[in-house]
Amino acid sequence: MNERLRKLLGTDTLLPYWLLLPTLIFIGIFFLMPLFKAIGLAFHGDAGFTLDYFKKMVSDVRFFDALKFTFLYTITIVPLNVITALAMALVINTGFRGSRFLLYIYALPLGISDLAAGLIWLSIFTHRGFLNSALYSLGIIEHPIHYLSYQHINYTFLSVVAAEHWRATAIVLVNLVAGLQMISKDYLEAAEVLGARGWKKIWYVTLPLLKPSLQAALIIRTIFALQTFAVVLALAGQITPVLAGEAYFWQFLYRDSHIASAYAVLLMAISIAMTWVYLRYLRSRTEVIRG
Amino acid sequence: MKRLILVSALSILAFGVLASAADITWMSTQFTPIAEGEFVRNQILAPFAEETGISVDLLNVEYAEFASRIEAEYQAGAGEVAVLCGLHGDLAPFAYALADVSDITPGGTISPTLMSKGRMAGKQVYIPLMQATYLMVINKKALDYLPEGADIWALTYDDLLQWAKNIYEATGEQKLGIPAGPKSLLHRFIHGYLYPSFTGYQVLAFDSAAAVDMWNYMQELWQYVNPAAPTWDAMDTPLLSEEVWIAWDHTARVKEAIVQRPDDFIAIPSPAGPAGRGFISVLAGLAIPETSPNPEAAAKLIHYLTTPEVQVKILQGVGFFPAVAEAAGAVPAGALQILAKGVSAQAASPDAIVCFIPGGIPDEYKKIYKDTFYKFVIQGQPVDPEFLRTQATRLRQLYIEAGAPYPAPDGK
Repeated sequence: MNERLRKLLGTDTLLPYWLLLPTLIFIGIFFLMPLFKAIGLAFHGDAGFTLDYFKKMVSDVRFFDALKFTFLYTITIVPLNVITALAMALVINTGFRGSRFLLYIYALPLGISDLAAGLIWLSIFTHRGFLNSALYSLGIIEHPIHYLSYQHINYTFLSVVAAEHWRATAIVLVNLVAGLQMISKDYLEAAEVLGARGWKKIWYVTLPLLKPSLQAALIIRTIFALQTFAVVLALAGQITPVLAGEAYFWQFLYRDSHIASAYAVLLMAISIAMTWVYLRYLRSRTEVIRG
Repeated sequence: MKRLILVSALSILAFGVLASAADITWMSTQFTPIAEGEFVRNQILAPFAEETGISVDLLNVEYAEFASRIEAEYQAGAGEVAVLCGLHGDLAPFAYALADVSDITPGGTISPTLMSKGRMAGKQVYIPLMQATYLMVINKKALDYLPEGADIWALTYDDLLQWAKNIYEATGEQKLGIPAGPKSLLHRFIHGYLYPSFTGYQVLAFDSAAAVDMWNYMQELWQYVNPAAPTWDAMDTPLLSEEVWIAWDHTARVKEAIVQRPDDFIAIPSPAGPAGRGFISVLAGLAIPETSPNPEAAAKLIHYLTTPEVQVKILQGVGFFPAVAEAAGAVPAGALQILAKGVSAQAASPDAIVCFIPGGIPDEYKKIYKDTFYKFVIQGQPVDPEFLRTQATRLRQLYIEAGAPYPAPDGK
């Protein structure tokens, strides 16, 4: 049986490729094909190759607002996510009683779809929401505040940041906890023997060893943050447009797949550029890890 | 076992008889949600079959299929579809393929204004079946602040401004609501209400001096609009929570508020501007293709569907308002009656400018209206005639490129 199978699959060297094939087919059909199709739609019109769709995208009234808010959200949310997640992961990693339980609690938002998360936060920040009711009953405010309005665009921005922070810190946390658990205790003990204590241990031993996990977490979070859309849509409507939202509106409200694809291609280009930056500047030097 | 075979054979036979008893096919772009389709089949078509012995097979299709099938059957010179139901914009392009229905007697009185919408190419192309529109819904508490001399059944945009201002000055709250969220129908308000009321046109006067006045007016009005408006897609919830007392929206998007608290709300016509009372009529009609295999049965169905009783049933089950005058009075008391009263008052206003929804052009036109609103009203930037000109060129370009006619009132 084994022999027959081996014959069928070819030599041992080919086996890994056979095993990878199903995934490759899956990625090909559901990822690569749509990807090339989208690129095609963005650059290809009735009269062949064209940059018209990109010109139209850039000349759109909302384009620069969308670009601005996409970057503002990303550079606010990602560092917040990473710092909070790192602090939480270090605490959990000390292994105190109940730390596992705490990890589960922290990971809860992972199980909630982003639109649902947006709606939960909407019920907090809306005009008659929980926040206003609470502040009002405490006598802090006399009239409900419109957090989600054009007049208070900073509040709207912060509301989205709060919701995204709550929702997305968990995914960074899970990454970092896994990374921390992979760090051998030997290094920390060696550092202690050499006299490192507290912060020094974290700064000179843990963090450098955690770099690969941090890098992965940063890449994932940044790409997702660039694509942030459902939470913004639920909380801010059109008050703070973002690129992913504009792509969605062009596709489903104004039904122009070409311009929607142009937005998607732009987002992809930004994501690739950011990923390259992370790979380039957060490269983990092997000599540090292997000592 | 034998018995079982016999029973199944009989039932197959019976089914065959029943299936062939589906005498006519009614193809429709309306009633497409499953619940609506079932309602029409069980509550409207089943009694019709009992009454006349004609059974009707309702065929729900998307517009693309609707269009290609009418065209194909017309080309073939023979067809299976006996009767059609579609919006004005679904039927109008096929006037050449549709029979003259002027000798069919509707089951009730259809106003000449409404009837005339179905007249084109020298014939009556369809009989109006039902209509939907967008109007204002007000909380009765707002009536205390109504400006002197203003009549809620013939409100003007100046009245509306003063009204919202009065409320703001008395309560300190912005109680006027316009849905301006991403999935709202704000574009309808701009192209079918504001523009025709102020300039007399949906498209042709986009960058006129009257349009500049209109945008300036909107900037002033916006001070009294609830600041959360850009997050609202429908006005029923803000009406119920009393975040707003005066709201504009589609009938279907305010209905829930009136259903829950019928004693608190009134539906009234949209305001009038310097040019008249612009409003959108979403009109659906019934037509008979030239190739209909059974025009007599089709005529009977059209008569039946336009009787006041059936019109009221359609309103209750589908939410579209009657096209027949007698039906408006036959609506049972409650939310629907309140809405129906507002819809007929709006349709009957003497200064009406009836607008149709643009058709045959890319949906980008919605964005042009919304983006202009976003810039001048929501962001509050100064009204820039140059920007209006750019947007106007783009808007006209859409019609020219698609070769589509301007919708009423622009194109006749």
